[in-house]
Amino acid sequence: MLGYILQRLVYLVGVVLAVSLLIFFITQIMPGNVAYLILGDFAPLDQVQALEESLGFNDPWYLQYWNWISGVMRLDFGDSLIMGRPIGPMLLDAVRNSAILAVVSIFVVALFGIWLGVFSAIRHGRASDHTVSILTYIVLAVPEFFWCIILIMVFAGTLNWFPATGYATLDNGVVEWAKHLVLPVIALVLGLTAHVSRLTRSSMLETIHSPYVFAARARGVPEKKVIREHALPNALLPTVTVLAIDIGVLMGGIVVVETIFSYPGLGRFLIFGIQQMDIPLIQACMMVVTVVYALSNLLADLIYMLLNPRIRYGQSVDG
Amino acid sequence: MTDNILTLEDVSVRYGKGADALHAISDVSLSLERGGAIGVVGESGSGKSTLALALMDLLGQGAQVSSGRMIFDGMELTDLSSQDRAKLRGKRMGLVFQDPFTALNPALTISRILTEPLMLHRGMGEADAKTAAVGLLDEVGIPDPKRVMGAYPHALSGGMKQRALIAAALAGEPNLLILDEPTTALDVTIEAQILDLLAQLRIERQLSMIFISHNLSVIARVVDEVCVLYASKVVEFGPKQRVFNAPSHPYTKGLLASMVKLDVRHDRLETIPGRLPDLRRAPPGCFFAPRCPFSEAACEKPQPMIPVEPDHQSRCWKAVDLMAVPWHVTDAEPGTVKTPGRTPKSGGDILIARDVEKTFTMTSGLRALKFDTSGGFPIRYAPQRFTAVDKVSLTVGVGETVGLVGESGCGKSTLARCLIRLIEPNGGAIEIDGHDITTKGATDSRVLARTAQIVFQNPDSSLNPRKTVRQILSRPLRLYGDQSGAALEKEVEGLLDMVRLSSRYLDRYPHEMSGGEKQRIGIARALATKPNFLICDEAVSALDVSVQASVLNLLTDLRDELGLAYLFITHDLSVVRHIADRIAVMYRGGIVEIGPSDHLRTGPHHPYTEALLSAATTLESDNDTTRVRLAGSVNTSGARITGCRFADRCPRKIGAICDDQVPEWKETADGVRFSCHHTLEELSRPVEQR
Amino acid sequence: MVDTMTVEEAAPRSRRAPWSATLTWGTIGLIVVIVIALIGMVWTPHPYDGMQIMKRFEPPSATHWFGTDEFGRDVLSRVMRGAHLSLFMGACATAVSLAIGVPLGLIAGYFRGLREEVIMRGVDVMISIPPIMLGLLLLAVTTPTVLKTAVAVGLIYVPIMVRLTRSVTLELSAQEFIEAARARGERSWYILFVEILPNAWPPIIVEAALRVTFAILLGAALSFLGLGVQPPASDWGLMIAEGRPFLNQAPWIVIGPGIVLVVTVIMINLFGDGLRERLDPRMRRSPS
Repeated sequence: MLGYILQRLVYLVGVVLAVSLLIFFITQIMPGNVAYLILGDFAPLDQVQALEESLGFNDPWYLQYWNWISGVMRLDFGDSLIMGRPIGPMLLDAVRNSAILAVVSIFVVALFGIWLGVFSAIRHGRASDHTVSILTYIVLAVPEFFWCIILIMVFAGTLNWFPATGYATLDNGVVEWAKHLVLPVIALVLGLTAHVSRLTRSSMLETIHSPYVFAARARGVPEKKVIREHALPNALLPTVTVLAIDIGVLMGGIVVVETIFSYPGLGRFLIFGIQQMDIPLIQACMMVVTVVYALSNLLADLIYMLLNPRIRYGQSVDG
Repeated sequence: MTDNILTLEDVSVRYGKGADALHAISDVSLSLERGGAIGVVGESGSGKSTLALALMDLLGQGAQVSSGRMIFDGMELTDLSSQDRAKLRGKRMGLVFQDPFTALNPALTISRILTEPLMLHRGMGEADAKTAAVGLLDEVGIPDPKRVMGAYPHALSGGMKQRALIAAALAGEPNLLILDEPTTALDVTIEAQILDLLAQLRIERQLSMIFISHNLSVIARVVDEVCVLYASKVVEFGPKQRVFNAPSHPYTKGLLASMVKLDVRHDRLETIPGRLPDLRRAPPGCFFAPRCPFSEAACEKPQPMIPVEPDHQSRCWKAVDLMAVPWHVTDAEPGTVKTPGRTPKSGGDILIARDVEKTFTMTSGLRALKFDTSGGFPIRYAPQRFTAVDKVSLTVGVGETVGLVGESGCGKSTLARCLIRLIEPNGGAIEIDGHDITTKGATDSRVLARTAQIVFQNPDSSLNPRKTVRQILSRPLRLYGDQSGAALEKEVEGLLDMVRLSSRYLDRYPHEMSGGEKQRIGIARALATKPNFLICDEAVSALDVSVQASVLNLLTDLRDELGLAYLFITHDLSVVRHIADRIAVMYRGGIVEIGPSDHLRTGPHHPYTEALLSAATTLESDNDTTRVRLAGSVNTSGARITGCRFADRCPRKIGAICDDQVPEWKETADGVRFSCHHTLEELSRPVEQR
Repeated sequence: MVDTMTVEEAAPRSRRAPWSATLTWGTIGLIVVIVIALIGMVWTPHPYDGMQIMKRFEPPSATHWFGTDEFGRDVLSRVMRGAHLSLFMGACATAVSLAIGVPLGLIAGYFRGLREEVIMRGVDVMISIPPIMLGLLLLAVTTPTVLKTAVAVGLIYVPIMVRLTRSVTLELSAQEFIEAARARGERSWYILFVEILPNAWPPIIVEAALRVTFAILLGAALSFLGLGVQPPASDWGLMIAEGRPFLNQAPWIVIGPGIVLVVTVIMINLFGDGLRERLDPRMRRSPS
């Protein structure tokens, strides 16, 4: 077990470093001269060159990379080129806001998606199963940005139940805070819930038809108990691992949702950085995303290891 | 007036609807006395598993009992609701089925699996259930039951898993135990242990049993009466001795005749020609008639069961007369196209293998780090290595057949693949027909392909599903022959003829052929490069008994026609004795005995061979006082072996010398060689019972 | 004496899965969508760029089935005109992911060893960035065009194709007929392309069919964010983005392309599912 954990950890560090290199290289070849962006299109050449020198653009690539990555490891993300302020504090706020969305969403997806999947698996072939199947099918065909628009149109526009944009801090009261979260969360969870529910359903069905479940029935265990105690634990194993991977998908959704709802989170920051060609900002946002995703994958591996006796206890052979 | 615990009257089970419907079992009648045991024998497609499912009310969707009565302990099962039937499961009727490797829930401990039926059916509380579970585990012969309670299924060996499953099935104290191929997935020596256990449990618990299997000799160990199923119908039913010694139905006769028997010297095996009928288009009369050498016009009428002797019935109007008639059907005479075998380069041995070694590394790198608080630095680098082949030496002469016998994990398949370089060995020297194939670059793979080929075990995966027979056979001919066009086509047909298949098969795909036919194509493909040496890796193990016989006949014919040498790998002692000139016995990566096959039945032998022989089931009921049983199962930890490789399980173990010193090789007067610390005299004496 | 050869029965009935309703509807739907997209490239009911300021924001009517947008352009015509862009995005991206992913997966799954390690670590790195973000990253550094967006999306899905192909290849490589091929001295490329690939196609094709929908949706999202198709050309994602400011007064500008997008995706999904049922009912989904 120790070897397994160590291997995953080393692996995680390696991947994060590799991705950081990737991010660095891609952003270094961005078009658009940043210096001109800052100084204006008509700035004199020597000023431009001086600025480039001071920004470190004339150093060899590995030196630039090292400066950047060593800063990141100290949690110093440099200054935003456009806003001229340190990125760190701004990033912290943005990350916190996005984290709220993400955590709430993952809970909803996990609870609702799993329940729906088990529900339709138990009622396999019946009308309720078909209904759920059709609904999830349709939901999966709709892109997230469209969900946002529909939600805004219906709930914020026509019904006016929830605000269409922005974010309210807890100082304004929990209700107001919650109201701003509802629509973005719904937009985020719809597609993922459909996906998790389908996955859980097929995993459950496979488990329900497995030999060991059959053996339990043959021993006279009542059906409800069979489903709950024999089938479910095994069926949930793939779902749990997929949930962790879905955190990555969720972060992708966050970009779109935050943009549409003007929610001040990591995604909106990133879009802003891209539109303004603010390289340090882009790099910082992407690094945060990468690390979060890598950690969630590690979490998935650890949960899988805890739940899977074969890995946890290893192979012990007795006579 | 016998007290029957179970009576079946004309039971039929139908699958599907309308035109596609078929009856998996039809008009099945049998009766089981309380405390008795019936063996249900059938090959694949006979419907035997359906019988078990029907009794337990575990038939899937789309299947139902369409007619007949099932009376269990006075209750009409067909009249009961499904809730009531469910109440019987586990409590009055238990089921143990084939694959122990997938029948245990990997997420639950053995304790949890066993306490559940105890609490459910016998109303125990958790603490009592745990105690009772330990008692059950002990009863089924699991050593150290307390530790096993806390273990998960993956930690148990195959035999242990099956014992645990038997314990779980017995937890509810059922009166009837149904076993569906319970030992088929297990090694021979483990199978023997389980069969002993079942015989013992039957007596101690006064269980009634239904034992379903395709293997007649396994059934013979445990049951009193035998019921033979063919294509959904019972064709014969009677006391075990009578059915085996005086079979009356032609199918039973054919089945018994085509079995390879350890004690009888065969020249050519009897076979049952043809194939199973399509049950969707069932003929009105006898299902077996198309394949029966005794069939007549009258066989086209529906056949009822008729009494042949007291308590012995048969579904054949000629049964009484046929009791005295032997079954004698052999394949068509060897094919007419004689392709001369390629003359081997060397005159002597076609295969010379010396000290072949193959070690697999299971974990390496970071995974191999382990916590170890037993002293020194707490983190150790301990890569797991498994030595599959441990310095094996073997020779096969030109035209000779050497049998390689061993149970699973002994390394025989790995050795085979090393010999034709499908796997790269880590050490040793191998020469095929004088060509050195271990030194890198010494021999081209094409040269090797012309000399040695391999026939695989599994007919379902040994042929490319997307190629027709013509494509499968043309490819090697094109690569290694010099013909093309029409001449090539003729060669392909020649190959088909060699394996006794007509040219009708040229355009068939693998999924359109039966197991036996696919194996024949596999053999034809191997022969296409005109090799002198053929490795048969369990080539007949996946086939039904009757089909096995005809493929074995084919292999012996080909060997005689073409002068082939064989390395015949199998776990079945009777088969290897039939086909091989010499037999090598393998255990845990090494050969422990090698000698002429004629002397397989006469001693003395290596203790492992002795155990294998004792475990090999025969049709005679086992009053054998020289029964040798091995405890436990094969050690697969990959730990370094010092001393004798059989030391940890040997019933004749002397003491520490077996663990520490590698035994010398000894040779008997008959030319049987093995390595053991005992003297030949000691080995001639029966082993002491423990 | 009974001769083995004369008692052969006819070949057992082929067990192909029947043509299912799903496949029928999916194929019909797919063909309809493709036809409309092709038509839209050369003809639309109204000129797709015909601005008629007098007729802006007209709700759906008999003449304008989807209404008109902020410039008075017929929304249906714009939807038809943009159809081929969205479909092209999906098809091209999937083609790219297949062209790169399948060979890599074959190599990783058959040769194992160092080649497998390198390929799979590369896959792991690429999979570590959420898809949209990777798309943003790739497209932010260049002026986006439809082709570049399609290629970027294709690259994003390469890892999934590699994993699927490798998994299928691993399973096939363990089959004995592959060993038989090696035993007769076949070269690796022969085994990969003649023995393995024809058997590997069914799950790969099914996955590809379903990936097309993911590619279309991702492409639409990127266009929505401004990194896909550029104005004045317009695919469905960009149309939705452009119509967003007018959500209150003229929702049909957004709903029109949105609904068509959803229906198209559903049709392609039906087709993909029907294909899976036909090719192998017992196939497992890709492990991603």
